[in-house]
Amino acid sequence: MTRTIAVDHLARIEGHAGITVTLDGDRIEHVHFDIFEGLRLFEGLVRGRPVVEVAGIVSRICAICSHNHALTALLALERALGMTASPQTERLRELACHGTQIESHALHVFCLALPDLLRHASVIELAAVAPETVATALRLKKLGNTIQEVIGGRAVHPVSYAIGGFSRLPTPVELTTLRDALEAGLEDCERAVKAVEGVAVPAFAAESIRCAAVVPRSGSWFFGDAVHLQNGRTIPVEDYRTLTNERAVPHSTARHSSVDGEPYMVGALPRLTLNGAGLDGRARDAWNRLGPTVPCRNVVMNDIAQLVEIVYSVEQALRIVNEMLEHGLTPEPRRKYDARPGRGAAVSEAPRGLLFHSYEIDAQGRIAAADVITPTAQNCAHVEEQFRAAVRREPDAADDDLRHRLEIIARAYDPCVSCSVHVIRTGRT
Amino acid sequence: MKPRVGIFGLSGCFGDQIVILNCEDELLALVGQVEFPDFRLASSVNDTTGPLDIAFVEGSVGTAREEAALRRIRERAGLLVAIGSCACFGGVQAAFGGPVREAAAEAIYGPTLAAYDRQEHRPLRDFVRVDAALPGCPMEKEEFLRAVSCLLNGDMPQPVTYPVCAECRMKEQECLLLAYGIHCSGPVTAGGCGARCPGHNSPCIGCRGPADDANVASMEAIITKAGYTVEDFRRRQRLFAASNGHGEHRT
Repeated sequence: MTRTIAVDHLARIEGHAGITVTLDGDRIEHVHFDIFEGLRLFEGLVRGRPVVEVAGIVSRICAICSHNHALTALLALERALGMTASPQTERLRELACHGTQIESHALHVFCLALPDLLRHASVIELAAVAPETVATALRLKKLGNTIQEVIGGRAVHPVSYAIGGFSRLPTPVELTTLRDALEAGLEDCERAVKAVEGVAVPAFAAESIRCAAVVPRSGSWFFGDAVHLQNGRTIPVEDYRTLTNERAVPHSTARHSSVDGEPYMVGALPRLTLNGAGLDGRARDAWNRLGPTVPCRNVVMNDIAQLVEIVYSVEQALRIVNEMLEHGLTPEPRRKYDARPGRGAAVSEAPRGLLFHSYEIDAQGRIAAADVITPTAQNCAHVEEQFRAAVRREPDAADDDLRHRLEIIARAYDPCVSCSVHVIRTGRT
Repeated sequence: MKPRVGIFGLSGCFGDQIVILNCEDELLALVGQVEFPDFRLASSVNDTTGPLDIAFVEGSVGTAREEAALRRIRERAGLLVAIGSCACFGGVQAAFGGPVREAAAEAIYGPTLAAYDRQEHRPLRDFVRVDAALPGCPMEKEEFLRAVSCLLNGDMPQPVTYPVCAECRMKEQECLLLAYGIHCSGPVTAGGCGARCPGHNSPCIGCRGPADDANVASMEAIITKAGYTVEDFRRRQRLFAASNGHGEHRT
């Protein structure tokens, strides 16, 4: 007898997605992470536009990681134009990414995912029984936003990022306020870790996870020139297509990725798995207290990995701000460039994982071709693999139980559906 | 009984719902004033059919599914408020259409394209009556809170009629357009953002849609004098507000 487990519209995620699993007895007929977000086709939008307009347009792919989109686009464009950013610019960009990571993870861990683990329908319900936890989470979320506002000029869709630098630098007063907020944030991190300590993290599928993350350059958590996989394979950013290999599937307007024919996972858990050796301070302590044994076989642990990254980012952001207050920011004119034909690809770690941007520029300094591959698009195939594993493990479970498990698995990836269907690409890149 | 407020997202980046969630200091107070029976981004248990006093809707309509969802929201809602420029004007995804758009879609999805539910992105008012609009990409947090206060007190939020340029002048910021010849859309874009971008030495890119009574002819003259083409200008105007921007003006 055929049986269908379906979630028509998955709640507590950014975007429109559903789940369909069809079983014939114990046999799984098909497993779909359905994505029915409308196509937005950013490729057509940026093509033909001058390079200066690109970052402001592609940030609109996604609100929550708008800073990552803008900054990754700038890196790719700078590469195509044959220029590099100053060390100060790199440091400010790193700081902005810590802000995004704090904001995005605080929203996901406490407002979207934790209600699952504590069996509440929403953070509003959670606020009624654990008001302190929610207040702590909102303060951390606000801290992340404050960093983004100070460095980027606005929390959603930044306005001060430019090719070769910044159109406006934060003032010493703003940096001092930020330092005070970050110091208070350290205490909130401790509260947040305590609030989650002891919460059972369910495991529905014990499959090994193929992780992919950036090979970070020295002093960075987010930026590098290559990505690596758990098996030790390293792929330079120019060859990112050999990793992502996207293909279109009918049940999803997000295309699916696989490496060597196998789905892989990107995000906080893969980052800590592959790049976590360098963790220190409170983040190390939190990872030791709450984290899994690595390699982890439970994707729901991604929620915990995000919490540890919040702690890490608050500590690192404070370190960077203190450094800037000590040495001062130099008023640097934006580095100049000549419009010239070229192509450049860049990668960074957005809160949800690897983000690739690649552009080709024509002789007039306009965009000839563009390609963006988002974390959620890369994770889609992996989500389905985990759905399959969870159903296979206990196919006789009641429909409601299975549905609940699949929802928790999907949410653990912190899917951002708006991002996943961004869709920029032309045949030429 | 507390007013019942629904929050919905169609095609877009979810930025306006994120702005609502970014009201961290006011959020818990807001939860005390109103009920959110239908807010899928926040809750997995929703009343998806009951009546609503106010529905806030972000995003453009880009699929048949979204069109049907919007009509259902309209039937349930006393007041429907469009939030963000996608809901008000179509947003960036509506900036290009026709055969160019089809070719781009074809190049990305190939033969699988036929399987998707899709139509050209259009603003909410092309399908249903919209009672109030809060434009911006994203809308400003303060504007949203002000609108909520108005609506809870039985007033309608009033649109901003003066341009970004007026706000920039009041802040005594140097004019990027006249002093540096940078393509700034401040003179023809609706204000309400406090001239945020020019305040960061970045040109206004028109994210709040066209200002009332904008002098498009004069703007085109200034822009062409600064070395841009009229098409550069129109293209910019189409970026966020193709459905009623100055982009279509005289073309």
